[in-house]
Amino acid sequence: MVSTGSGNAVSTAHDGERYVEGARVIEHMPASLNAVPPSRYYLWLMAPALIVLAAISIYPFFWLIWMSLQNVGAGPEVEFVGLKNFIKLWSDDKFWMGWILLFKYSFFCMFFEITIGVFLAVVLNGHRFENILITIFLMPMMMAPAIAGLVWYYLFNSTFGWYHWLFQSLGILGETSIIGSTETAMAGIVMVDIWQWTPLITLITLAGMKRVPRDQLEANMVDGASAIRNFIAITLPNIYPFLLIAIMLRFMDNFRFIDVIMRLTGGGPAEVTKVLPVYLFDVSFVYFKLGRGSAIALTLLIVTIIFGKLLVKVFESPASKRIDQGN
Amino acid sequence: MFSKPKDALYTSISRRKFLELGGGAATALGTGSLAVGMNSVMMRTPVQAASSQEAKMKQYAGSKLVFMSENTPPSFAIRDKIKDFYDATGITVEILTDDLPVVLQKVGIDVKGGKADFPVIYAQDKPIGAALADYLADFGKFIKDDTLPQDPEGYGADVWFDNFLDACGSMYEKGKIVALPYDAAVACTFYRQDLFEKYTKDFEKDYKYRMEFTAKTTWKNVLDYATFFKKLKQAGQDVPYGYAQHLGTFAWTTQLDIQRLMYSHGQWLDFNIDDVLGSKKPGPTNWGDATSVEMMKQFKAMADVSHPDNLANGTLELNTVYQSGQIAMQVQYHEFAASVEDEKTSKAAGGKTAYAPCPLGEASWIKNGGKAVNGTNCGIGGIAINKNASEDIQRAAFIFATHAVSKKVQYSVLTGLGGTPTRKSVLAEPDVVAARKRPSKMPNALTFESVYDFGIKAPNFVLGPKIPEVNEYHKILAAELTKCVAGKQSPEDACKAIKKQTDNVNDI
Repeated sequence: MVSTGSGNAVSTAHDGERYVEGARVIEHMPASLNAVPPSRYYLWLMAPALIVLAAISIYPFFWLIWMSLQNVGAGPEVEFVGLKNFIKLWSDDKFWMGWILLFKYSFFCMFFEITIGVFLAVVLNGHRFENILITIFLMPMMMAPAIAGLVWYYLFNSTFGWYHWLFQSLGILGETSIIGSTETAMAGIVMVDIWQWTPLITLITLAGMKRVPRDQLEANMVDGASAIRNFIAITLPNIYPFLLIAIMLRFMDNFRFIDVIMRLTGGGPAEVTKVLPVYLFDVSFVYFKLGRGSAIALTLLIVTIIFGKLLVKVFESPASKRIDQGN
Repeated sequence: MFSKPKDALYTSISRRKFLELGGGAATALGTGSLAVGMNSVMMRTPVQAASSQEAKMKQYAGSKLVFMSENTPPSFAIRDKIKDFYDATGITVEILTDDLPVVLQKVGIDVKGGKADFPVIYAQDKPIGAALADYLADFGKFIKDDTLPQDPEGYGADVWFDNFLDACGSMYEKGKIVALPYDAAVACTFYRQDLFEKYTKDFEKDYKYRMEFTAKTTWKNVLDYATFFKKLKQAGQDVPYGYAQHLGTFAWTTQLDIQRLMYSHGQWLDFNIDDVLGSKKPGPTNWGDATSVEMMKQFKAMADVSHPDNLANGTLELNTVYQSGQIAMQVQYHEFAASVEDEKTSKAAGGKTAYAPCPLGEASWIKNGGKAVNGTNCGIGGIAINKNASEDIQRAAFIFATHAVSKKVQYSVLTGLGGTPTRKSVLAEPDVVAARKRPSKMPNALTFESVYDFGIKAPNFVLGPKIPEVNEYHKILAAELTKCVAGKQSPEDACKAIKKQTDNVNDI
């Protein structure tokens, strides 16, 4: 105990705390006044993550760019060719056809998946068996795409496929299987994608529908709006950001996943399902032209990033922000 | 049961400690397994030329090799009896099997990356052998090495069936052997003899000759047979379609399918190169010439009377279509006879199927002045050694490779799993001779007369084209051919498109 001149008895116990007239006083430095650690400190904290990221992502990315500037053929020789691989792509019909087919495939997949997915979400939302039904609907999504491709390969087979038999019995198909005709093969692979990934759209939409304010819905109904009007005016604007996320995910998936196509058609018949990633696979791992393959992969990556950015831009548009803030 | 030490470090174990210990143990085990499991391991006891055969066999005892193979009977049979090899050599061999396109991808990535994760490689003659020949070791140096155990029969061209060593072993350089014949798939005709006998009189009324299959049966006859069956089918009769082709997803067998037709008519070749050695610079392709256009037309004509799901049927699916009784004929690889003759899974079994050589060229279709032959081609799976591997691993791989192609193993593959031998001496075995006639315990032997006695012999056998860009060539050909079959382009345009793209690939 120390006596002060003013007569107040002040005693000290531990650092940062003292006793003033018998009361313990703890002095705090506000967090905002703490000394800022040097930036090197954060660098050390991030180092493990940066090293892992560099090893699995950044290094291969720069390697991809380097490879796209090389000519890697059937032999062990590697030759620097500058932009020749990219220039050759301009005159590569299969490259351009691959893009057209990829957009066609992605468009059909997303159109049907969003239409059916949203419809299912509307039906399931608040249904007494919602939890059970959503669990059942999610099952295809749990299956590895390669296995899904194999299962549908057997279902579509014209010799023993159950679906082929069904389509044939209904008069939709003749003796030619859905993946054996140039007219229907694209529909076959789109069908499998719809089967497997519509539940994802349903799930995301359903999550969005839980956020739709009931008071707005009820007010609109009191004003005499029909169920459809209610959906368009209230529900759809509210689930819009969720749908954009779903579209972005599926869009990127369609550009990446070729397991089902490889198993079902391998890009055939007559190349009607040879979307760009399938062509990329052939160039890289069947012909082993890794330089050309890298150039194709780089274009695919750039276009995917551009489209992803565009979608994010739409997502961040004032209209969608307003909707978000309104909630 | 257990006594606890007096000064034990842990008297009880907490959940956290348990997880720490478990995690540590799992990491150590995982790292150890990866280190041991993924790679070949080499141990060596030096031997001399004068050492005993047993010492030479055991010089790499304790070593481990990985063999990447196609999922064909020999690999399964050898894997089943791998203990025999281990007992004789002390070498552990891990045999990995997959579909041929996957084998190509895995092996291609391995060798082109400068690695030797797969020191022993299944080198199917064109898709792997021709494409990756630069990465395969020359067997010549091992065959001459008297510190290595050698097969008593040797490895000369005369111990294998005609042309087999050339088919898989000769790539671009004369005298160099990049693979030894390991298994074989040679084309011949499978046809429903019961249906041919039943309908031959009806056929004869329309076409004025008998419906039968011999070595003189031409491709035009096959077209007539297929047309006849299709007419019956369309008339509502309960008959199968006549024919189907190898289209589907596997480009190589599509190329082989039209190659048989083309070679039959004037021994047409895809490139003007040595059919045995191939060439790294093949020059312009012959596609687009009069013979190719004519053959494309005939192939399309065959497709028009074939099974309706023709475009979806690759080689395996085609055989399933035949087994299920949906077609009356197929030109198929002789290794499939075992499955066709299996009464549990095949409607074509039980003596209904007969085997004949590939059809003969039709004289009136020949445009290049050449002669008509029974164009026969093959896929000879070779066993090869990865050149990236160390010298000792290559030597150990040679010991395994010679075991895999030995008479004993080939015989056991034929008798056990319905494989197809590559060594001539196997056919001399009395039970193999007996199996060539029905009832046969080795159904593949029913094809031997058409294949080994006829198809693989000159002038019928075509080996190539062996070019480094062979896989891209196969894809180009299959794509344009199927577009033609689907009616999306004319035969002339298909041939032009193949020529343009192929010449572009070969820098013409």
